Amino acid sequence: MSVFKAWHLPGLEADHVEEWRERVLPDGVRLRWPWLRAGAMRELAGGVAAAGEALDRVPVVEIIGAVDRVAGRLLDPADPLRAEAAALLPAVTGFHPAMVALVLDRMAAEWRAPALQRLLVAELGGTAVLDGFEVLPEGRLARAFGPRLALHVFAGNVPGVAVTSLIRALLVRGASVGKTAAGDPVLPVLFARALAAEHAALGDALAVTYWPGGEGPAEREALAAADVVVAYGGAAAMAALRRAAPPGARLVEHGPRVSVGIVGPGALTSPERAESVAREAARAIAVVDQQGCVSPQALLVVERCPVTPLEFTRALAAAFEQLEETLPRGHLESAESAAVHRLRNEAEFRAIAGAPVEIFAAPGTAWTVVLDATGELRASCLNRFVTVHPLRTLNAAVLRLAPLAAALQTVAVAGAEELEAVATTLGRLGATRVTSFRAAPWPPGHAHHDGRGPLRELVRWTELEDGS
Amino acid sequence: MAEASPRQDVLSFMRRPVADAAPDAFEALALRVFAWQYAHNEPYAAFCRRRGRTPDRVEHWTAIPAVPTQAFKALPLVTAGGPGKAAGEAAGEAAGEAAGEAAIFRTSGTTRGMERRGQHHVSDPALYHASLLPTFAAYLLPDQARLPMCSLVPPSAEVPDSSLAHMVDQVMAVFGAPGGGSYVDGAGRLEGAALEARLAEHEAAGTPVCLLGTSVALLRWLEVLDAAGRSFALPAGSRLMDTGGYKGSEREVSEAALRSAYGRLLGLPADHCVNEYGMTELLSQYYDDVLRRRVLGGGGRPAGIAEGARVGSPGGTPGARAGGRGAGPAEGAPAASSEGPRPKAGPPWLRALAADPDTLAPLPPGEEGILRHVDLANLGSVAAVQTEDVGVVLADGRILLKGRLPGAEPRGCSRAMDQLLDAERTR
Repeated sequence: MSVFKAWHLPGLEADHVEEWRERVLPDGVRLRWPWLRAGAMRELAGGVAAAGEALDRVPVVEIIGAVDRVAGRLLDPADPLRAEAAALLPAVTGFHPAMVALVLDRMAAEWRAPALQRLLVAELGGTAVLDGFEVLPEGRLARAFGPRLALHVFAGNVPGVAVTSLIRALLVRGASVGKTAAGDPVLPVLFARALAAEHAALGDALAVTYWPGGEGPAEREALAAADVVVAYGGAAAMAALRRAAPPGARLVEHGPRVSVGIVGPGALTSPERAESVAREAARAIAVVDQQGCVSPQALLVVERCPVTPLEFTRALAAAFEQLEETLPRGHLESAESAAVHRLRNEAEFRAIAGAPVEIFAAPGTAWTVVLDATGELRASCLNRFVTVHPLRTLNAAVLRLAPLAAALQTVAVAGAEELEAVATTLGRLGATRVTSFRAAPWPPGHAHHDGRGPLRELVRWTELEDGS
Repeated sequence: MAEASPRQDVLSFMRRPVADAAPDAFEALALRVFAWQYAHNEPYAAFCRRRGRTPDRVEHWTAIPAVPTQAFKALPLVTAGGPGKAAGEAAGEAAGEAAGEAAIFRTSGTTRGMERRGQHHVSDPALYHASLLPTFAAYLLPDQARLPMCSLVPPSAEVPDSSLAHMVDQVMAVFGAPGGGSYVDGAGRLEGAALEARLAEHEAAGTPVCLLGTSVALLRWLEVLDAAGRSFALPAGSRLMDTGGYKGSEREVSEAALRSAYGRLLGLPADHCVNEYGMTELLSQYYDDVLRRRVLGGGGRPAGIAEGARVGSPGGTPGARAGGRGAGPAEGAPAASSEGPRPKAGPPWLRALAADPDTLAPLPPGEEGILRHVDLANLGSVAAVQTEDVGVVLADGRILLKGRLPGAEPRGCSRAMDQLLDAERTR
């Protein structure tokens, strides 16, 4: 039985630890983490923040180089770091090994030097404003400073989301404490360790460990030490952190989001075109088993085209069936299986009662496609469960999304004739991203996320004015 | 489809001494009930056709399509053309089995208030009573005792939707000796002083009593009793039936903790405290078989009640399992202990299997899954019901309840869309 040490805590001493805790993964690997004594996290966070200050003398390009080398290792099939991640993540996240490999490849590509450079240029015009005072376009002199200490509270099981968050803080020279999620307490630790091996000073400015959310002295002390809190998770977790964060700290919220897809007339001109769009839509839904904030949860399909919604739905079902072979759905807890059955049952009872509803599904719970022409938008339980809603026009489809406005994130659109007009309406509604099905699961690292600048929301500015 | 209703045969099966039952009597009758329901319950027939499992293609009771309990909320699951009317016409055939007044039982509301409540249309109360009475007698009154019954369940007249209230009413009317009654009003308020005065009388007179209630009601009462420093030493032979303790009510309490409170505050030994497992969607019930075993000895010959009905654990049904392994129910089954769930048994016309939560395929005995029941007393609705209760079916047919599937929370960073849609609908 192997043990995975699920922490990277520079300065950790035996007397910081009250006890060691463990969780056994389905494959028998034991995840171990320290339950910290009162006062321990205060001390550790203080050390990490001090190491962050020492980064002042490290040019950002050096930070990019170190992160890039770790990303390179994660992308290299022959590297032991990649092998360890690939071996541990399926059991810890529940995703199929093929999914873990795909997500690692796509995520780590965004951590390579060129992608990080693009991010810095897009957000801050480059690295200069981080390395010193710099003349801004309008002639002012200013410098951007990262957080003294950012506390990241991670959630969910999508590998790479946490690492991306840590890298963003590092790029602006911020020290970080990362609290891992039960869904992935592994990859952020592997990353932090590998980074420490590449660049000791960076490794010292980074602490990553697990504790059950909301519990123990570690969370209180980490919150008290942080000037920026980057929070991921559900509405309840957000509200709790808002209450617990110190008054002066900036809270950067990545709350829950909903994404959907729209299939317009241009995608329904011929069976071949429709099948191709259906394959892309199925894949967008299948990636990370629909757990991502960018994963479409419902599809709106325009009626009265050469390819009918029913034919499109059949093509979608066929695509999901094929994906079971190349990119199989991961393991479900029995409560999640039950959620799939409940939603299927509801659809089936509507069909039996005479409503225009058709169900296409795998024999197990691997995927479910429901064609629902009742006009009412239906929720998904995720894990590859999608309802296709036929609508008269593209405009009707967009208007149908109004109830989701408050949380609308990505809208994947195929076959829209006036894409800009559609995107304008969607943007007004609240959507923060309009894209293709092919690109939907992979938002570029340098793009606005949830409508905000991923680095700009981490920095504060100091102006240096004439005559000083 | 000129098949006659299997009602008479189900009733005969319920009344037949277990030893007389043909080895595959349940199997044959279950398939007939299935065919009948398929022919006379259109929503259920549609449900079966969608699965490609029609009577001509189902050869074993475990393959009968089971409707999820959810279906009782969404569909009118009434098997018409049979029990309701036929029972009235057939009332003369056997005394005391007139169909009686039809009832609709409803499941209790859930935390999501908008959700529809499940409905079980009971068009044939005679069949319902023919199931519940002998089963209660077998597991609560195996010594044929007639005791004053004190109930913490509101009278049925005040909560006509409640299947539990109806059941307790029936039990008290048929088996109760004078000196009992219901001590909860329609609003669920316990008349504690009256109950305690009544128990004190029985205690003083040395008359054993039978207490009936939900685990939550009993717990609340005992907490008050305990806080006031009062307790009873109920006379030997006293007993208690509680129900619903394991389901996720706001007040979770372990079976073992409850039993210890029954012992400390009421003087009831653990084997005289019998937990019932029933649900609105099933007209038959399961019970801990501790008292029955205590009285009759392990695997003892099942006792009947006045009318000669015979009830045993399914394992006691000869031939229920190949090789007669079921003959000694204690064999290979966990003994009733003060910790963990106790095995529960039902009447021979009720059988359970555990299904895989993902594929819903039946699992072999001993494996944990979600419980599916086939209850022939459900002739007037649907016999095969798939629950979300987690449990194990033992080789002898008894069941171990492990809890209930929780609602699933999304694991990733996407928001549960239903929250948004719910908010929209309630606006």
